Amino acid sequence: MSKEEVRLFIGPQHPGITGNMSIELLLKGDTITWAKTHIGYLHRAFEKLMERRIFIKSFPLVCRICVPEPDTNEENFARGLEELAGIEIPERAKWIRTLVLELSRLQMLIMWYGGIAGSMGLSTPVQWGIGDRDYILDLFEELTGARIYHIYIMPGGVRKDLPDGFEEKVLRAMDMIEKKLPEYDEIIMENAVVQKRLKGLAKIPKGWVEEMGITGPVARACGFPFDVRKDSPYEAYDQLDFDVITEEGCDVWSMLLVRRREIDLSIKLIRQIIDKMPKGEFLTRLPNVLYWKIPSGETYVKSESTRGEFGYYMVTDGSDKPRRVHVKGPSFIHGITLAERLLVGQNIADVAPILVALQICPPEMER
Amino acid sequence: MGLKEVLKPLGAWRQIARRPHTILVPTIKREAAERYRGFHVNDLEKCIGCGTCAAVCPNEAIDMVKVEGFEAKKGDSGYRPRIDYGRCCWCALCVDSCPTTSLKMTNEYIWIRDVPEDFVYIPGYDIKGFEDKEKGYRKDKEHGLTNYNRVPMRELDPGERVKSFAEVVIGYTEEEARKEADRCVGCGLCIAGCPDRMHIPDYIRAIASGEYERSVNIMYENNPFAELCGKVCTRRCESYCSIGHEGDPVAIRWLKRFATERFSDLKEVIKVRKQEPKDKSVGIIGAGPGGLTAAYYLSLKGYKVTVYEAMPEVGGMTMAGIPKYRFPFPSLKKQVDFILSHGADLKLNYYVDPEKFRELMKRHDAIYLGVGLMKPWNLGVPGEEHPNVIYAIDFLRKVNFNEPVEIGKEVVVIGGGDVAMDAARVSRRMGARVTIAYRRRKIDMPADHEEIEGAEEEGVEIWEKIIPLRVEDAPEGKVKLVYGKAKMVDQGPGKRPKPVLIEGEEYEMVVDRIIVAIGQQADLSFLPEEIEEKLEVERGRIKVNERQMTSIPGLFAGGDVANRVADAISAIADGLRAVKGIELYLKGEL
Amino acid sequence: MELVERLKKKFEVIGFKKQRKDLFIVETTKKDLIPMLFYLKEYEGFRTLTLISYVDWIEEGKFQLSYILWNSRTKDNIIVEFRLDREKPDFETIYRMWPQAEAYEREIHEMFGVNFEGNPTQHEELILEDWDDIPPMRRDFDTLKYSMERFGERESKSGINIRKEISEQYDEWRRK
Ligand SMILES: Cc1cc2nc3c(=O)[nH]c(=O)nc-3n(C[C@H](O)[C@H](O)[C@H](O)COP(=O)(O)OP(=O)(O)OC[C@H]3O[C@@H](n4cnc5c(N)ncnc54)[C@H](O)[C@@H]3O)c2cc1C
Ligand code: SF4
Ligand code: SF4
Repeated sequence: MSKEEVRLFIGPQHPGITGNMSIELLLKGDTITWAKTHIGYLHRAFEKLMERRIFIKSFPLVCRICVPEPDTNEENFARGLEELAGIEIPERAKWIRTLVLELSRLQMLIMWYGGIAGSMGLSTPVQWGIGDRDYILDLFEELTGARIYHIYIMPGGVRKDLPDGFEEKVLRAMDMIEKKLPEYDEIIMENAVVQKRLKGLAKIPKGWVEEMGITGPVARACGFPFDVRKDSPYEAYDQLDFDVITEEGCDVWSMLLVRRREIDLSIKLIRQIIDKMPKGEFLTRLPNVLYWKIPSGETYVKSESTRGEFGYYMVTDGSDKPRRVHVKGPSFIHGITLAERLLVGQNIADVAPILVALQICPPEMER
Repeated sequence: MGLKEVLKPLGAWRQIARRPHTILVPTIKREAAERYRGFHVNDLEKCIGCGTCAAVCPNEAIDMVKVEGFEAKKGDSGYRPRIDYGRCCWCALCVDSCPTTSLKMTNEYIWIRDVPEDFVYIPGYDIKGFEDKEKGYRKDKEHGLTNYNRVPMRELDPGERVKSFAEVVIGYTEEEARKEADRCVGCGLCIAGCPDRMHIPDYIRAIASGEYERSVNIMYENNPFAELCGKVCTRRCESYCSIGHEGDPVAIRWLKRFATERFSDLKEVIKVRKQEPKDKSVGIIGAGPGGLTAAYYLSLKGYKVTVYEAMPEVGGMTMAGIPKYRFPFPSLKKQVDFILSHGADLKLNYYVDPEKFRELMKRHDAIYLGVGLMKPWNLGVPGEEHPNVIYAIDFLRKVNFNEPVEIGKEVVVIGGGDVAMDAARVSRRMGARVTIAYRRRKIDMPADHEEIEGAEEEGVEIWEKIIPLRVEDAPEGKVKLVYGKAKMVDQGPGKRPKPVLIEGEEYEMVVDRIIVAIGQQADLSFLPEEIEEKLEVERGRIKVNERQMTSIPGLFAGGDVANRVADAISAIADGLRAVKGIELYLKGEL
Repeated sequence: MELVERLKKKFEVIGFKKQRKDLFIVETTKKDLIPMLFYLKEYEGFRTLTLISYVDWIEEGKFQLSYILWNSRTKDNIIVEFRLDREKPDFETIYRMWPQAEAYEREIHEMFGVNFEGNPTQHEELILEDWDDIPPMRRDFDTLKYSMERFGERESKSGINIRKEISEQYDEWRRK
């Protein structure tokens, strides 16, 4: 640290930070010369807990690894166990799971869309995002019995069938959200300030993407068509018709474009799912969950979350508890390896939009 | 980028004229969704305190606690779940695994108190005001975490069955047994139903995980007739099973049968600890299941044991009474051989008369009476002495010992218990047309419903509300039963309706044999007078204390002569209890 | 030629499994691990390091390190793993091959106590602060005991274990 440099912590209590973490910066004037990510403010030892619990008891636990998008965890955990235990799930369960995942993605993206505006001090759409997301939470409440932690996608399928008339309600909510989106666009995408600040901000060298393990919308904003839904289709994604969205700018603006277009994509997918959803059974009976043992094995299952590739590395040893569950959140790489490098050379005022654009989620960094 | 991009964002002002998203709580009360997972409610009458909810709760939020002023019912531990909402994560795993479906969640999610202790309470007992809520998360029985459906037991076809004495029940395959055993939630409430208090959840779990040898060893800890029970037990435990409240109880009997049948050589499987030989000796009169159980555990404890049996085979009623299609002889032999292999002496064809009894009293330090009920009850109607009137236990004994019996083509069995079913089904196998005449209705029959169904499948007809009046001779070596009909008279709530003869009507049927199966009584004529005088007998049964000792020190009794349940497992339990009693007595501690 | 054949030619392959159509699991030795990773990256197209993870096989006295790689062209994942002596958990860093390995290794060092020779930041605290016990993700670290010692029993807990209670009730009976 030279004499002209100032050391500054952003977070863990700071409106511009994306959760309980902090970034330590060295500044020369307004410009960042060095950055370091600090986590550890909300370690809850999920992985350790899972090793001590019978499988079913982890089912209400995993969703808590990511607050705004819990379903990817439930789905990955369930799919991993099913693979290791050799359980086939009914076709309808796959579709319902896909519906839940897309609804969850959509509510997260809407909230994010408001959030990126908020990171530049434009706080109006933040409230809109939270408000409109609630219409999807209403749907979740009706489907799963809870608004945030759904505890719904369980090994073997899903816990309950769609309630009567649920499909129409989903479609109605989609129409409503679709109608609102132009208003968001008006004050975010078509806003001179936003455009001026985000275009060209924090350009990621293309070479980093593959080498550093960058995934999800960040990778797609750099022109790489990486999308687990397409690359290794899970649940019902192989039966859906969609294209991977990419942008070429490599900057925060491109990340915004990718996510904005993915809102449309999610709505389109949700309509497709409702349209194609087969009838039938939605849950396979599990063995007695109090004594459920899974043969020894090892697997890595992954899915596409709004932040990127989300994965579960699971090892079983034939007992009634997992030997190891490692939750791979995309934020671990994005928040530490990538952010520490990307922030160097940026203006201090841009830290918030960059972190939001990378969509760093501390709970999945310290499981 | 131009002026447009500067002005466009001002469109946000449009919102001013719009209605807000938000709901003005508490002015407006928002009702949560139909399946919302809110505060719990529990139907305390339905809940049986099985503790499954506490076992599955991921957060140890549930404690099982005794509730004041609450009588524990049959098959109820008397405990009820208490939930700590400082720990509960509203996952509803407890609801989904509650076997009785008593535990539910309401859609109530707002409840404000300033005392933290108020958030630790017993749903249904501590009244919180949302007990009557209609909506909330409910268990869907087909998709919950309890498996309510029993793996069906395969049986011989009825048409096939009546052709021979082959065993009717085929038995589970390994896969079926493990699947069935896996349904057990391990609550242990069934143990209360077992007179012998077997370690039921433990041996079932052992079966579910494929450890059959361990399973059988657990059974032999307190039951040397596990295979017998696996085939013919009255399985009281199953009526206590927590899963049975809303579905089929776990097939405890068939699982025991599965595990024990896998091993043909018990010596290789059962690990026994034989104690030092002791110089005291015990005489056991009657080689029924009770007597032999006592013999087994006494000989393991090192006592000298001699068993005296009047019949030419051991097993008591399980040999002479229970038909072979339910309990084949080789199975009995396998178990008895193993029991006797530990050193008990056996004297067959040894009827103990008063003289011999005095002798035995001198020879042994303690005596166990397991003489069973060997005398049938009479019908008590005129003409009963007719040679074509026979008694079920005599009939069954002869059949089981392969003695010649003639029953003709047409038989009526009088009675409604298991013995009546056995007599009827054996008669069917001997080619007769069989009618069961019972004085009450079919639903009042004390026989096991599976036995009744089995008999009907095999073509036995059941006549209800029949009261025999007299027996008369009929031509061609037949016999005539004259009977009246009964009407059921209500005896007030909680009591069985009583059959009362409808006067003035008489009917008759002519058959080849009348088989009387209305119960058995003890035959204590073998006791010397001086003993009989001192021995306390209560309503036909020898009175014993909780250690199975009679009013005469050193004389123990158990099984059918002493208990009112009169089934094999109760006899086994009595035998086991007597072992402890005899041991204490011989040590001078009783 | 199949991937496994090619690997076997060059390295010691202790175990190979095709877990899914797009997931391979290869077990190798400590010595061959880094060369194998290098080969997979440079010659087989597994250019992305997705995750480094670890498993404690305490009964065997071994640690397992698992490296999950991804091939963006074939869309295949491969888990490359090896076992390490639990008593001497020393290994080398691969952060020069993949920058994100630095943070993963740092976490493993902290939570699991494996030493990655050459990793410049592994000694910095990542998640824990002033940790005073063995690395917490090891199987022999007992979370319940630790929290009991530090925070004590929860007051509202009745401490009744219903299942034990019921079974003890009958043991009483059986003893009689
Ligand atoms: C037809 C029938 C079917 C049955 N079915 C079932 C069933 O499905 N399930 C079930 O659980 N139970 C059943 N039972 C009841 C069960 O068999 C008895 O409860 C059980 O056998 C009682 O055992 P115990 O030890 O009291 O003596 P018992 O089995 O009654 O045996 C008494 C023994 O003592 C001997 N004995 C009597 N007096 C003397 C003497 N003075 N000297 C020497 N020996 C003597 C007798 O010969 C006999 O062997 C059935 C009974 C009958 C009759
Ligand atoms: S699982 Fe149901 S029946 Fe059993 S104790 Fe809990 S609430 Fe009662
Ligand atoms: S809802 Fe879940 S956490 Fe709450 S008491 Fe039931 S099982 Fe436990």
